[in-house]
Amino acid sequence: MSPLTDTRKRELRRELESIVGQAAVLSDPDELMVYESDGLTLFRALADFVVFPTSAQHVSAVVKLANRENLPFVARGAGTGLSGGCLPTEGGIVISMMRMNRVLEVDYENQIAVVEPGLVNLHLSWKVGPRGYYYAPDPSSQQACTIGGNIANNSGGPHTLKYGVTTNHVLGLEVVMPDGEIVWLGGKTREACGYDLAGVFVGSEGTFGIATRIVVRILKKPQAVKTVLAVFDAIDQASAAVSAIIARGLVPAAMEMIDRLTIQAVEDAFNCGYPRDADAALLIELDGLAVGMDTQAEHIVAACRESGAREVRTARSEAERQLLWKGRKSAFGAYGRVSPAYMVMDGVIPRTKLPYVLRRVNEIVAAAGLRVGNVFHAGDGNLHPNILYDPRKPGEEARVVAAGAEIMKVCAQVGGSISGEHGIGLEKADFMPFIFSAADLALMHRLKSAFNVSGLCNPGKIFPTKKSCVEVGPVAYRPHAIEEKGLAQRF
Amino acid sequence: MPDALLDKLRAAVGAANLLTGVELSPYVVEGRTPEAAVFPGSIEEVAVVMALASQVGRSVTPWGGGTAASVGMPAPRAGLIMGLRRLGRLLDHEPGDLTATVEAGMTVAALQTALGSRGQWLSLDPADADRATIGGVLATNACGPRRHLYGTARDLLIGVTVVTADGSIVKGGGKVVKNVAGYDLPKLFIGSYGTLGVIVEATVKLRPLPGQEELVCVRFDRLKDAGAAVRAIAASDLLPNAVELLDGAAAAGAGLAAGSPTPGGLLVVGFDGVREQVDWQRAELARLTGPLGGRDVRPLEVAAWARLTPAARAAFGATAAVMALAVLPSQVAETMEQGAGIARGRGLQSAWAAHAGVGVVRGAVASDPAPTDPAALAAVLAEWREMARAGGGHANLEWAPLVVKSQVPVWDDPGAAGRIMERIKAQLDPRNILNPGRFVAGI
Repeated sequence: MSPLTDTRKRELRRELESIVGQAAVLSDPDELMVYESDGLTLFRALADFVVFPTSAQHVSAVVKLANRENLPFVARGAGTGLSGGCLPTEGGIVISMMRMNRVLEVDYENQIAVVEPGLVNLHLSWKVGPRGYYYAPDPSSQQACTIGGNIANNSGGPHTLKYGVTTNHVLGLEVVMPDGEIVWLGGKTREACGYDLAGVFVGSEGTFGIATRIVVRILKKPQAVKTVLAVFDAIDQASAAVSAIIARGLVPAAMEMIDRLTIQAVEDAFNCGYPRDADAALLIELDGLAVGMDTQAEHIVAACRESGAREVRTARSEAERQLLWKGRKSAFGAYGRVSPAYMVMDGVIPRTKLPYVLRRVNEIVAAAGLRVGNVFHAGDGNLHPNILYDPRKPGEEARVVAAGAEIMKVCAQVGGSISGEHGIGLEKADFMPFIFSAADLALMHRLKSAFNVSGLCNPGKIFPTKKSCVEVGPVAYRPHAIEEKGLAQRF
Repeated sequence: MPDALLDKLRAAVGAANLLTGVELSPYVVEGRTPEAAVFPGSIEEVAVVMALASQVGRSVTPWGGGTAASVGMPAPRAGLIMGLRRLGRLLDHEPGDLTATVEAGMTVAALQTALGSRGQWLSLDPADADRATIGGVLATNACGPRRHLYGTARDLLIGVTVVTADGSIVKGGGKVVKNVAGYDLPKLFIGSYGTLGVIVEATVKLRPLPGQEELVCVRFDRLKDAGAAVRAIAASDLLPNAVELLDGAAAAGAGLAAGSPTPGGLLVVGFDGVREQVDWQRAELARLTGPLGGRDVRPLEVAAWARLTPAARAAFGATAAVMALAVLPSQVAETMEQGAGIARGRGLQSAWAAHAGVGVVRGAVASDPAPTDPAALAAVLAEWREMARAGGGHANLEWAPLVVKSQVPVWDDPGAAGRIMERIKAQLDPRNILNPGRFVAGI
């Protein structure tokens, strides 16, 4: 599908090399294949080039060249995305940010850090950890995903219940605009000057430009942490406990739910101490001041017991706490024990609708003749049903995709959203009308036009489209390379 | 305004909800009288009015409680006031979801009362809560001391419905607390001063009301030492919900300078939570600030909360101007001292108050006892702005008479980002009818 002749491609490669260096350009189809997918391997698209800039000036020059040649371009971080958001759907240039991975500045007094977009999320917490600080947004792929990718997707994580998502922690960004101009949006201070462009940029899925420096807040580690595991014989009881905790005026740092199928998979794989015969478990974490924490924990325990929990226990040591979290965070990897493949869904519903929606999810998947495991951020109503299937069986994958669409419709019907943290990307572009009217989408498109005048910056994403050059559909599930290495799971 | 247009507006909203002539006096801003004020009773009526205004190219100023009506430059031509007071309902409050959906014209105080009856609140505490409406608070990004812990509108608004310049009803975000579907339109409209659309409905995240809340003040002889205390708090285990710093004049203005002499600096810190948490934090605050020169640690009455944000302006019987400076938290005390020095150097008195923990500082210049020399005032404001910019921040003129605003730009220069803002404005309001000329970069 490349519109470029071989000759032209060779010329452009030389020009790109003159910008970023010889060892920083890929154009061999074998090498490009590494960049044809993200964490959602259902979609694939080949770029003409992958480049590895090391400065905003590099990025700007590459973007200007792309504009001159009318070539689309898209930024890419670690490729852990789950919606196909960084795929070069129309060919062109993939701009990998992985070599821009430095922590440029840490200002402990003002609790901010300036980082490059290719920095791995967890590495920032490692950097500031010895001084008692951390970076709060904690997507489950945080060992691999980059802060630039988190910016694009406005990533969340288990602890966003109390601390908010990426956008709540970003103060400013240096951005290479889609025309190549380098612009600061926001800065180091807390107030925007004019429209909140930094706020609008975060979560724009790479369609408004490419961040090259990011000012983030770092937080003081809490004085105390307490982790509680509540075990239930019926999943509805666990849902009720979530509401009961909120009704008592408590907002834990995290409140995660794990269902029976997932518990069994996790216990088979890792033996983390979840009871295998439970229908559901809630992992609840409190953090904050040491004083008063026991009282709050008592409220949590009482709320769980009143909702029918058969067992409620508190982690007695950091090791025990880590083991419980390992169970939660390894769930996706553990599905490999019980199914050759799975597809992770991401939807959000009002917390109070949990019992109804979980029942509907089970009905929809059962009607499709499939199984589903649920492990999700119950506290903020962010569901992750994982539909298990066998890609070798003809037609199964199509049924998974159809069931996924049904589940998204249910989320929309109860007043929810079709994505809580994975983004729209390619995967859900056609679901946007479930929750947005034509007028809503038209306004979003006008906003996009203000940033991305030529439309060359990450085309084909977010908005419903009819045509697509992407290979979609009956391809076998393949774990992403970083999943195989055990560096990340799907949440 | 042509009679035909008035007739159409009357038909859209009902004769009782259209004001003209002398009835417009509450809506006169900087001596400029609008052509008419319209009070739609539904979102659909807002859309009809907007479409009519768009057809004839009349400018439109959305109007909530009018508490920020004089912020920014007035419209160069008279137009319509779009009053939202009839859209004043709490549409939905589901305590189990910790969310509420509210019409834009509801006042903050009315909303808090309704939410409070069910044990929850919107963790946003702007001044003038009795008059300020939700729509206005969002459009001006107003907030108060508790932003220290709970953030601002950008951290709380999860869905917004607006009527755009062409009369379309558009929504962004949704009703759930976590949502990345589509662009973050709520962020776009927060602080946009009615230049991109009329906010008609909002869905917000709520919090449970804390069991206890307490405001504590600590006196310092030197402002500088109070600044050191702000930094010590940030580095400690304390989790205050407010960290405010006032100079002597502002402390007196807020009625907090009990005893004499007037303190060099007054640190005011808020705590919430269960009783034992508040008690522990108060004791810890005293322990931390004592060695830094803090003394007379004492609790303040509940009414003091509302006096903190406007403290600088309240310091003087008559105020010539108020500037809000965004700086790094570590620079707050220095900014206040330096700013006061700049004013003194021009023979002017100033007062200073800050949301110190987040680096938002307000300086007010007195215009009494003698009327202020406009040239000296303009020079002081320009120097204050330079001071903020030198530290990587910026400064906006929050309040000043038109004569001052015509000399000192109200809004700081957004730099290269200003061009993106202009393009957004051109995309969303191509005929430039929404609050034209009021905002940043001439938008």
